[in-house]
Amino acid sequence: MKLRYPNRIKPYLLIAPALFLAVLFSYRPFFLTLVNSFHTISLAGKRINFIGFDNYIRLFANPSFQASLSNTLRFTLFFVPTNIVICLSAALLSNRPGKLATLNQIFFFLPMAVGLSSTMMIIKMMFNPSIGIINQLLGLDIQWFNNRHAAMGLLVFAGVGLDIGLNFLLLISALRNVPSDLIEVATIEGASWAQTFRYLQAPMISSTLLFVVVTNIKDAMLISAPVMILTEGGPYRSTQTLVYQMYLEGFRSGNYAMGSTIATVVFALTFAILLLLLHLERRRVYYQ
Amino acid sequence: MKRITAIVATLFSLVVVFPILYTISASFFQYTDFTAIPARLLPTIPTISNYTRAFSESNLALFLSNSLFSALVGTAVRMTISIIGAYAFTFFTFRGKNLLFIIIVATMLLPTDALILENYTTIRALRLTDTYLGIISTTLLAPTHLFMLRQYFKTVSREYREAAVLEGCSDSRFLTTLLIPISQAVIITLAIHSFSTIFNDYLWPLLVTNRESMRTVQVGLTMLGFSENLDYGPQFAAITVLMTPILIIFIALHKPIQESVSSRFSGR
Repeated sequence: MKLRYPNRIKPYLLIAPALFLAVLFSYRPFFLTLVNSFHTISLAGKRINFIGFDNYIRLFANPSFQASLSNTLRFTLFFVPTNIVICLSAALLSNRPGKLATLNQIFFFLPMAVGLSSTMMIIKMMFNPSIGIINQLLGLDIQWFNNRHAAMGLLVFAGVGLDIGLNFLLLISALRNVPSDLIEVATIEGASWAQTFRYLQAPMISSTLLFVVVTNIKDAMLISAPVMILTEGGPYRSTQTLVYQMYLEGFRSGNYAMGSTIATVVFALTFAILLLLLHLERRRVYYQ
Repeated sequence: MKRITAIVATLFSLVVVFPILYTISASFFQYTDFTAIPARLLPTIPTISNYTRAFSESNLALFLSNSLFSALVGTAVRMTISIIGAYAFTFFTFRGKNLLFIIIVATMLLPTDALILENYTTIRALRLTDTYLGIISTTLLAPTHLFMLRQYFKTVSREYREAAVLEGCSDSRFLTTLLIPISQAVIITLAIHSFSTIFNDYLWPLLVTNRESMRTVQVGLTMLGFSENLDYGPQFAAITVLMTPILIIFIALHKPIQESVSSRFSGR
């Protein structure tokens, strides 16, 4: 058997496509974005002058950006706890034997089968203030798209709708790994439901919970498509987020330097979150 | 206590699944059912005209075929690149192996949404806007897949491959007749994941397609023109067409899906 390529070159050929794509669509754009954020950029996308931190100074003084930053942080602050409470209670409630429990579980993860834009279109129509089912059914008169607080709440709701399926699955599979005899013993010994969770289940699902929390924070910081479809940043920029503004600056206003600067801020924020994860993982106590 | 848990869990799960059930029901509504007082949850007389209108008054079928085609081709290319890459990283020793592995896997840390400005410039410079290649280009590298496949391939003894090579078996034969068949479960799980990722992508296809004929269904769905006119029936019908096949797959395969999630993450 003759090898077509000498064995020394072959592994490089096999990894070449992956490496090529990594450079072309990850590292190159990453470094160019960094470099661009320190330059003025022409409308055609060419770098003109090196201007140091001027873009950053201008960006942080820009009211629109301040709104995006505070909206993104506010969204993260509302979304992550809401989502965790909902997904964790769903997992705890349906973690029991029986046919009905299986049906509950299927219902809880089914939203995962609905794609992002379908989910957003469903929410948009259900929450329409005049003919949407939500206001009609609950007898409400909330202007979901014209009231700052309602629009933010709607966005949080949309975020939960997107994440509940996968997060529920992750949490319930972690809960299943808690040995059921331990829980039985605890119940016989008279431990309350809260004590069982606090001292038995919570420590044993802590690594999954941490993973879910951190990915939730990351998703929340990067949220853009739901904003684009549901609220377009309105009313009065109250739901304009970082990545959405980056899209507006780069593609709608042709303000390429600003777009790159926002992208760099987003990179910095996600790196900070990943470092936090690493730090917590190292400090984490293992209960095995 | 047990009964209360069951009741609360069931009510809660019904709230969660309500939007899906309502969407299916509303896709059979007549125009007047949406404005009826009190609000209707079920159609007065079910009609399928929403479905015929969704297809005849928009390019839904075209969008759907664009999405299916790009997701299928994208998945095939993505899996091939991941498999041969993981194969090289598992069964070969070469200079710079660890560094190159880290370089590829570390792309996981760069959020793709923040890279779209430059990636769009690249695609435009390559004249790939409004092409299938442009739509799938940025999704072709899946560092998580490469990583997980390598973890799995590592459980296959290196002696198998050494024996196979000594017997004159080529790499491509070893891959297709041994390695891929025994890794079937992992590969299928990852392929399903790839397919749904590419199929559900929104932001990138929105940017790289300008012509309506190239639009994917996720983008097209938000631009059908029905919901803007409060003509909700056809819009709900289009969503139902899109989600029903996946709902059926999820319900039918709920056990393996749950198991694949637990095995994927408990091994962390």
